[in-house]
Amino acid sequence: MTTAIAAPKCLVCDTEFEVQGDWEKGEITECTACGQEHEVVEKSAAGVRLDLAPEVEEDWGE
Amino acid sequence: MTTADQVLLSVTMLRPEEKLLLGALRAEGLTARPLLMEDLAEVVAGRTGGPPPGLAVIRNLSHRDAISVSRRLEYAGVTTLNRSSVIEACNDKGLQSLLFARHGIPHPVTRHAFSYDQVRAAVGELGMPAVVKPVSGSWGRGVTKMANAECVEAWAGGRESADATGKLFPVVVQAYVDKPGHDLRVVVVGRTPVVAIQRASEDWRTNTHLGASVERVEVSAEIDKLCQQVVDVLGPGFYGVDLVEDRATGELLVLEVNANPEFAKSSERHGVDVAGLYAAYVAEQLSVNAAA
Repeated sequence: MTTAIAAPKCLVCDTEFEVQGDWEKGEITECTACGQEHEVVEKSAAGVRLDLAPEVEEDWGE
Repeated sequence: MTTADQVLLSVTMLRPEEKLLLGALRAEGLTARPLLMEDLAEVVAGRTGGPPPGLAVIRNLSHRDAISVSRRLEYAGVTTLNRSSVIEACNDKGLQSLLFARHGIPHPVTRHAFSYDQVRAAVGELGMPAVVKPVSGSWGRGVTKMANAECVEAWAGGRESADATGKLFPVVVQAYVDKPGHDLRVVVVGRTPVVAIQRASEDWRTNTHLGASVERVEVSAEIDKLCQQVVDVLGPGFYGVDLVEDRATGELLVLEVNANPEFAKSSERHGVDVAGLYAAYVAEQLSVNAAA
């Protein structure tokens, strides 16, 4: 899957994400333009890497 | 840094609930970090580069992962909240119904069914309408109201076409409770019901995922009593206890208990800091464990 480094862009519409200092690995963030959810898969000095957020699985829930 | 202040927050992904929890745990002075599935191998191998975790809060969306992670951490010597046996019970409506029956907790009459014929027999025994539920499922998925014999046959026909060999059994067949348009969700921290919300919907299923509206209600003596009964059976922990009122009798029944309740959106409405209360409970448990 294509991912982005340093200045992450939405993997659907290419809108640039504003990197938040308090992002954590595993966090879900939405593209402000198209609403697509992304997951923060890596956060380091080199930057932030995003992937598309995982789809809901059949065993997900409360 | 010692084991006594190290907390793992096991997640499938970090939703608003878990973000709130992380902040609240850190506000308690604890060293809290997310634990994703990809990190579990290093943790159970003891290769984290710091003190071993004192406790792991299990918040995995995936039922399968929640049980797997909690079991593996427990075997590695890490206390988990909730415990793996509790998560297992809470993730299976059939197991819950057996526990409730054994311990006299008010609960709709429930039967296990391991075949299509047993579903038909259980619906016949309980009368219609009856409700068929997959033993494991959330957010109202697969919960079906059997209003008449045609419903039963439509359900069986549709399901048989997707599962001819019956691999998806058992299901539970439950007496339908005619409720007054709403049910209750009570969040329990430790032994304490910290907030109760009424979930109202025009749909007979009142899951907030299906659009139910929420309103805070007082934790009455009856609500408290039922929650204490649940905690007596499962042990103290973090629960979403679903209660339903039988419109005909006015009696409150325990419908089910969730081991991973969502709270972010409802907290905005009722104003109770569920994350903060849970974090304080986690800190308390760490102190107890350290003193033991």
